[in-house]
Amino acid sequence: MKEPTPSFFKAVFAIAHKDLAAEFRSRELLSAMLVFSMLVILIFNFALELDVKVRQSVTAGVLWTTFAFAGTLGLNRSMAVEKDRGCMDGLLLAPVDRSAIFFGKAISNLAFMLVVEAIVIPLYAMLYNETRIFQWEFLGVLLLGSIGYISVGTLLSAMSVQTRTRDVLLPILLFPVAVPVLLASVKASGGIVAGLPFEEILAPLNLLIVYDVIFLATSFMIFDYVVEE
Amino acid sequence: MGPANTDNYMIAGYVVSFVTMGLYLLSLYIRTRNLKRDLETYEAMDNEKK
Amino acid sequence: MQSKPMALTILDVLSIIGIGVATYFALVYAPTEAVMGNVQRVFYFHVGTAWVGLVGFVVAAVSGIVYLVTKDMRWDRFEVAAVEVSTMFFFITIVLGSIWARPAWNTWWTWDPRLTTAAVTELIYIAYFMLRAGIEEPEKRARFGAVYALLGGLSAPITFMVIRLFRTIHPVVVGTASAEAQGGFDMSGDMLTSMFVSLGAFTILFVSLMWHRIRLGGLEEKVEELKLKVSM
Repeated sequence: MKEPTPSFFKAVFAIAHKDLAAEFRSRELLSAMLVFSMLVILIFNFALELDVKVRQSVTAGVLWTTFAFAGTLGLNRSMAVEKDRGCMDGLLLAPVDRSAIFFGKAISNLAFMLVVEAIVIPLYAMLYNETRIFQWEFLGVLLLGSIGYISVGTLLSAMSVQTRTRDVLLPILLFPVAVPVLLASVKASGGIVAGLPFEEILAPLNLLIVYDVIFLATSFMIFDYVVEE
Repeated sequence: MGPANTDNYMIAGYVVSFVTMGLYLLSLYIRTRNLKRDLETYEAMDNEKK
Repeated sequence: MQSKPMALTILDVLSIIGIGVATYFALVYAPTEAVMGNVQRVFYFHVGTAWVGLVGFVVAAVSGIVYLVTKDMRWDRFEVAAVEVSTMFFFITIVLGSIWARPAWNTWWTWDPRLTTAAVTELIYIAYFMLRAGIEEPEKRARFGAVYALLGGLSAPITFMVIRLFRTIHPVVVGTASAEAQGGFDMSGDMLTSMFVSLGAFTILFVSLMWHRIRLGGLEEKVEELKLKVSM
């Protein structure tokens, strides 16, 4: 071969860019995730009677549940598209490291989730006059939680799309494994909204970081086994 | 006052333990039996083909 | 299918005797607990089944890794056997804990770290079997099963640590007791003996059941191969 194989970062960037460009044109995934998030918040509003008193304690839980559900929607769709259009086979034939595919997909999935969060959070703040969620700590927890959730979610969605029961299987596989990241995020961001001192949210924050590191590394290492033919 | 009378809970606990283990053993037995039957059928089919 | 090996027969007999002896120790030999009464006797089986359930979970995660490295189907059968048998034992653990909690804590269930982790672990096991059921090719089924067993094994300890940030009332059996624990008890020598008898008995039973399940897995594979051969 005359041309050198593309470097790892170039490949990661190319895959993420391909997903984002396609989404920018069609917007079908983001619009579905956003409308779904709105509906979940609407249902929570009436199911939990989100008045001023209740809101303080459940804001973090409502937001994280919404993002987790919207996240599975996005993860499912983004992998199913690869599989159905035969893009996955093309990617696997390309002379790039398999883990570059994992990082590319993880980055675009993370971008979708962050876009949804960036729209839902201000909207939630406006609807409920809840300005305490605009804190650097809160947004940091949001980012850390999303990274953990997406890294294990990308790996599992690559598995679930290859099974017979694909659409129903992803949440069943993902939620029990993602319990720590969701609960630690709820605990940490709930503490921030309640105005607890930083030392009090340090414990869930540490666990969140531990989870992110372990699962990002593991998913990256075993992604090879999930896509090999 | 002596210990509380909680005998029924204890009996329930041991009944559940043994019933669960018994059901598992039964499922192992049934699955093995069915597989052995399948194996015989397929072996017979295989012999016919030859 | 080769005939049943001698060692397995011996193991079967040993596990029946072992469980019999453990039941005797738990129900007759151990003294009645002073406050809670006889319900405390479910504790021996509770600890025994929890121990083998935990061992099975670790065995499954480790054999998942070994399978991914070696690609030897024997490790897949090992892993399935470990998951299946410990799912059964963990179910008993949870039900026994619940039965004990009712008189001791006055509730069937509480979202304590141990209980919640046990429940989440059980859900991971169930998801594991649903994943396998959705895949036709044996090789891919083994690969995905191994990956999921590994992920489950990694997340369970973190789940436990996260939920510990919320509070606990579960008594600590090994190590220092938490001040908030309710229904804890000082174990007398006879109680400890009964506990270790139960641990030993369930370990033997676990090994024996796993061996049977591995043999069943071998039979499954043989049937699948033959089915393919006949249909071709």
